[in-house]
Amino acid sequence: MPTETTTAQAEVPELDLVKRCQAGDTEAFDQLVGRYRTRVFGMIYNMVHNEQDAWDLAQDGFLKAWKSIGRFRGQSSFYTWIYRIVMNVTIDWLRKKQVKGTGAEFDDAIQLREIDPASRTVPKADALPHQRMMHGEIRQRIDEAIAQLSPEHRAVILMKETEDMQYHEIADTLGCSIGTVMSRLFYARKRLQNMLRDLYENV
Amino acid sequence: MKTFEEKWTAWLDGELAGQELAEFEASLPDKDGAELEKQDAHKLGAFLKEQLVARPMRNEEFFHHQLRRQIEGEAAVRGTLPVESRPREPWWSIGRLVWTGVASLAIFMVCTFFVMRQETSTGQSGYLTQVINARVDPAVSPNATISMFETKEEKVTVLWVNGLETLPSEYAAK
Repeated sequence: MPTETTTAQAEVPELDLVKRCQAGDTEAFDQLVGRYRTRVFGMIYNMVHNEQDAWDLAQDGFLKAWKSIGRFRGQSSFYTWIYRIVMNVTIDWLRKKQVKGTGAEFDDAIQLREIDPASRTVPKADALPHQRMMHGEIRQRIDEAIAQLSPEHRAVILMKETEDMQYHEIADTLGCSIGTVMSRLFYARKRLQNMLRDLYENV
Repeated sequence: MKTFEEKWTAWLDGELAGQELAEFEASLPDKDGAELEKQDAHKLGAFLKEQLVARPMRNEEFFHHQLRRQIEGEAAVRGTLPVESRPREPWWSIGRLVWTGVASLAIFMVCTFFVMRQETSTGQSGYLTQVINARVDPAVSPNATISMFETKEEKVTVLWVNGLETLPSEYAAK
């Protein structure tokens, strides 16, 4: 996974920064935050579709990472580790939000009832003309479609399609089995294909 | 045993191979339709990747400032280091070993002192001091010896005379 290192920062190995953080060096943590904040923020934004919420969740995620950095043993990259923390913070937040008010279903069983696993989602013919749709509108359509997914389904589809993460990395991040990841990917793709077909066929 | 969904996903992502791939493709009722589905899913993936570019974070400096403030707040509440960030010292650290050694030695020395003192006092004679142990005037009684002891607790002086045959008159007068 690429990082946001600058030339100067790249000179300091990540593990050295982590060790300094574990000794209480906030300056070192600042450097680590600088390396990953954009990617972390971008991922959260794709999950929650609100800049302020994404900003706050990124703060929460990094703060949680600071509090528990003593437990980081270097078995995975720091990014994978912080990504797991941030993703769990975001999923928890989305779950709470959905429990409180509106929101899409977030249960695989509901997805199963609504989608025939063998159904075909390929458009037959007539596609709508969206060529003139502005990028902002396209993005809005995508955001709305993703918002219909459960937090877990959002997470797997975004990690797979935008972050190019492997099944085992996604499973590790979300703390679930590879089979669950594959199953969630299946339903998330089907739903998005149904909702966005006209866009990606014509834009 | 993989479910249909798992196999389908693996097939879409090119993760099926060998016999598993052949078996899965043979199990598809409409191979051409499935291939179209696969292409469609790939289009979706490419579309998402293209459209969902990372949104740049605004107020990056403020983000760092705010985070630093929160971290400092945490540190102020919990001490210099956040509790979970404190590197955990192994129980056998050098400092602890030294302190344990010194404390053990001190306890050993104190115990030894008391034990030795007790043993000395029990092994000692009930008589604290032998004041005299000498022969009496050989002209008077050549075989006589006289010893005088003083007991510790009772504060009694015992005069032990051995072998005295006669007591000269001038001694008796004293």
